[in-house]
Amino acid sequence: MDAWTQATMFRGFEIILKGKDPQAGLIVTPRICGICGGSHLYKSVYALDTAWRTEVPPNATLIRNIAQACESLQSIPRWFYALFAIGLTHKKYRHSHLYEEVCRRWAPFTGTSYEVGVVTSSKPVEIYAIFGGQWPHSSFMVPGGVMCGPTLSDITRSISILEYYRTTWLEPVWLGCSVDRWLENKSWSDVLKWLDEKPEHFNSDLGLFIRYCMDIGLDKMGAGPGKYLAMGTYFHPEKYRFPTIEGRNGALISRAGVYDGQEFHDFDQARVREDITHSYFRGESFLHPFEGVTEPLDPAEAEKQGKYTWAKAPRYDLPGIGPTPLEAGPLARQVVAGRPGAEPWQDYDPLFLNIVKEIGPSVMVRVLARMHEAPKYYKRVMEWLKQVDLDEKFYIKPRELPEGRGFGATEAARGALADWIVLKDGKIENYQVITPTAWNIGPRDRFGQRGPIETAMIGTEIENPEDPVELAHIAQSYDSCLVCTVHAYDAKTHKELARFTFGPGGTL
Amino acid sequence: MVVIIGCGNLLRRDDGVGPLLIRRLWELGPPPGVRLADGGTAGMDVAFQIDGAAELIIVDACRTGAAPGTIFEVPGEELETPPLQAMNLHDFRWQHALAFDRWLLKDRFPKKVTVFLIEAETLEPGIGLSPAVEKAMERLARELLRRVGADAHARGDHA
Repeated sequence: MDAWTQATMFRGFEIILKGKDPQAGLIVTPRICGICGGSHLYKSVYALDTAWRTEVPPNATLIRNIAQACESLQSIPRWFYALFAIGLTHKKYRHSHLYEEVCRRWAPFTGTSYEVGVVTSSKPVEIYAIFGGQWPHSSFMVPGGVMCGPTLSDITRSISILEYYRTTWLEPVWLGCSVDRWLENKSWSDVLKWLDEKPEHFNSDLGLFIRYCMDIGLDKMGAGPGKYLAMGTYFHPEKYRFPTIEGRNGALISRAGVYDGQEFHDFDQARVREDITHSYFRGESFLHPFEGVTEPLDPAEAEKQGKYTWAKAPRYDLPGIGPTPLEAGPLARQVVAGRPGAEPWQDYDPLFLNIVKEIGPSVMVRVLARMHEAPKYYKRVMEWLKQVDLDEKFYIKPRELPEGRGFGATEAARGALADWIVLKDGKIENYQVITPTAWNIGPRDRFGQRGPIETAMIGTEIENPEDPVELAHIAQSYDSCLVCTVHAYDAKTHKELARFTFGPGGTL
Repeated sequence: MVVIIGCGNLLRRDDGVGPLLIRRLWELGPPPGVRLADGGTAGMDVAFQIDGAAELIIVDACRTGAAPGTIFEVPGEELETPPLQAMNLHDFRWQHALAFDRWLLKDRFPKKVTVFLIEAETLEPGIGLSPAVEKAMERLARELLRRVGADAHARGDHA
């Protein structure tokens, strides 16, 4: 048995950006995605901050953190109810004694939790829009700060929106307990104790999810490579006043790092390479993104050379081991959060390192890691909102250096997302984006090493090859992002629509 | 309130006509009682923008085989598509958002929904509209302002 993942769409934004104004990335990259445009903006602004050596006032760092975290807070319930949980109502599981309850809660439209989960998901991005003007596709973060001048009522409105999220969905529906009670859990045995501690825990959506996964086997499926990458996100407002590539790791709140299954390593962007041996791009290069090239081939021609996807294969050069495929995403972040030795301002959270060691990674564990971030980010955003000093600056005009190199990264809900920018003569000389989906869904490399999702699918038992719901669970647990690049309506033909032609003649 | 939402991807040439039309309407100055929204490539967020609208207008690019720049004015019900399958959120588009909203908003669903589709010439990666689509956008922008302006006037919003 074997597995190949294929990304069927070419995304040419690196080509679009070449030769453009340095700040074009702030406009272009948030348009890459309709789901995590705020994350694209966040890392693209840090790429420029590092290239231009700007000063970013603490308020701006706080607002950027708040915005990035709110996008993820939005994504957590929306992804769970509108995407992932629908698969759990598949008739394959009808023999589970929990099936009826799962359908009662999570069936699309009719489920009792579906509506509250999906509707509440729209709230956190209202906070984004208070500061960012709009969500999706805002460009309000600029080198040297943010383009907004919030008032006290903006802060209090944001706090009340966040409280609505907690009191409407997070605590009563999802956790069945307080945010603080859930965050007391530091190990898998704590989680099992929590589950039986009170009927509210056992019967919450989270309680049901854990019990159902263990009943239908999602705790045994889709382990993946067991090696993880987090590039980290959220900066300490004082420690990243002068953003540099070298100073990044120490200023992070949600840490960067690599876990190879045995040991932790510091993350160093210089160790990232992209392999295109099996991708629809010219040649077989294995370059660092500063040197990266994007020369697309006709897929039909490329397939004759053994290439099979539009995704490149990002690899991390692990000291002593060599280029390694790594899983990105919430599980990776939460495993890295368990690394000892965090600074006082950094997140230390041993729960998922323990879970991975106790029961191994799986679809269930990956989903739990994502959901675990809702209470964590709720608390962070609340803190950051209270730290904003309305009498201080939100922007310091930078000097626009004509030459330079920058690196900006963040953690989108679905994983590590980074930009590398090279400026020359005041224009973009090179721009490379590596998305979490590329890390996860990328193909084999020159050494024949599979990408993480390819690995995760190997060995999965499939009940009905016509309807491989098991593979869907695995792919969805990584929440890959592939299809939102073209949006044009194409479901009806001209013949069907001709009677609606607007105005005389229709065409100009 | 009339809500006008432009959908599409600015990075795929004519696919960006929806968001660009919103920008153009902003420059031209929308009358009171009209809310403009750049829906971009987000799907479900289009659904949340609709709440509170008495009338909804959606603008997107299309490819139906007609001549580039052809504008279609289609009643929303014609295109509404329930998102009932397990669906990737990236696949969730305004045609799903309409059905989703009819369920979600119930009697707060807009009384009138109109979709304007502009036939694209190219959806290649890149920025900027092709000339036929640019012209169609300008024509539609002025027509929309005329219509919603007249409506706003009739409602007395200018007072």
